[in-house]
Amino acid sequence: MEDPRHRSDRFELIAACEGTALVELAELVLDGETTVEIRQAPKPQLVMQRVRDPVHADVFNLGEALVTGAEVELAGERGFAMVAGRAEASAVAGAIVDAAIEADHPEADRLASALTETRLEREQRRKRQWAESTATAVDFESMEGEL
Amino acid sequence: MGYVAVEAGEEVIERAEQLFEKRRTEGESDPVSIDQIDEQFGRLVGQVMNEGGLYAPKLAARALKQAQGDTVEASFLLRAYRSTLERWDDSVPVSSDEMFATRRVSPAYKDVPGGQILGATKDYTQRLLDFDLDGGDDPTADWDLEEAEPESLRNVLEILREEGLLAEPSAEDDGEDYDTTREPLVYPAPRSAILQELARGETGAITALGYSTLRGYGSVHPTLGEVRVGSLPVQIEHPYTGDPVEVTSVEVSECESVVPEYEKRDDAQFSFGYGLVFGRNERKVIGMSILDASTQLEGNEPVHDTEFVCQIVDGVDSFGFIEHLKLPHYVTFQSTLDRIRAIRERTADGGDSPATTEVSGDD
Repeated sequence: MEDPRHRSDRFELIAACEGTALVELAELVLDGETTVEIRQAPKPQLVMQRVRDPVHADVFNLGEALVTGAEVELAGERGFAMVAGRAEASAVAGAIVDAAIEADHPEADRLASALTETRLEREQRRKRQWAESTATAVDFESMEGEL
Repeated sequence: MGYVAVEAGEEVIERAEQLFEKRRTEGESDPVSIDQIDEQFGRLVGQVMNEGGLYAPKLAARALKQAQGDTVEASFLLRAYRSTLERWDDSVPVSSDEMFATRRVSPAYKDVPGGQILGATKDYTQRLLDFDLDGGDDPTADWDLEEAEPESLRNVLEILREEGLLAEPSAEDDGEDYDTTREPLVYPAPRSAILQELARGETGAITALGYSTLRGYGSVHPTLGEVRVGSLPVQIEHPYTGDPVEVTSVEVSECESVVPEYEKRDDAQFSFGYGLVFGRNERKVIGMSILDASTQLEGNEPVHDTEFVCQIVDGVDSFGFIEHLKLPHYVTFQSTLDRIRAIRERTADGGDSPATTEVSGDD
């Protein structure tokens, strides 16, 4: 289980969040007293997905994934987030959440538990997907003897 | 012969474009939404993403809508958009055993470790038109499911590797990955470049060339080790910690095909071909695995010629070349007419039979 207080774990939790949920969390931080400096404005960028083939172990470029990254500074702490797709508001919101937890903002505990909750929901969806898939598991039987 | 520009009224060109757009909206039904295309035409969206070389489902759906369903045009739009963006970085390389699989079948092994998981497919049912398709009810609603932790499925080819039945990679295959979006493709091309070009190839072209060897125009007729559908994590190095971290995941289709490597009769082994593409596109990924295998093996047929395969399969390339023929070629054609007329006049005058004149290759 990822720890939302750990920077790398938190990055993954933020990246897995729905955009609207991230914006709502960031609004908790933007209380009118906390100053946020944008260090890197959000912009769509590309990550080339590199894959290792399973037998020759050759690495090749499968194609690029569209992502949006942003960086902010809040109470002397930097925050960085990257989310899938073209999603400027989500990326900035994610960076604010990252910095706020790092800076131990008064809402940090609430933010951390919301991120954990999001992860639990995602895991639940995956378990459901896996259960649906394994419900279609089959034993193929050869029919030579019956022909 | 070079190209000669022509001019036409800009206003008329705009009108033609407006008429094209009208054709999309003039019906009485509501406009289809981007979300509807993304959610209900997943195969099409996947095809556009893998041919466009960009994983961006919402943008692929938008491109399909804009292109009125023309997949190659939509792929072109994605590639054009992608060319305006910076690259953050390359991902951390992932292996397919990190895939969260929702479907895995092995035509080679009946009792495959992890089991045969059909997943969402209509492969084993009749292809009949469904006149009650718009029911909208979830047909799995009454399934009694036992939720469990997802398992990582063992790769089928590992079974062959353990028996020493897989050919080991040759020294030149052990090279660095080559990015065909940044470096011109030169031949002989490294396998990483070939795999990238095949992954971006047009589905119909990949299928047709793969099919050609099954029909005898090549020496590859594989058994599929497995076909998988699932999602792979996209990981970057975190800029502060340096740890590999997951940004998102991409839905992919994967196939490994097993081919008897006839050149090694003294030590019978298998060769293999690999296919992996964005989205759900099993036809393409099987074709890709066949072409990966055929370009590694010797032969006189087109599928064994790496340069031929890579030059032919790109949809945006072939779309451009084929469709440019409908643009004005008045000067080129006038020149051809002049030559033909001159030949005919000389022949009518009883002159010597002229040498054959070829139309320039850059026409």
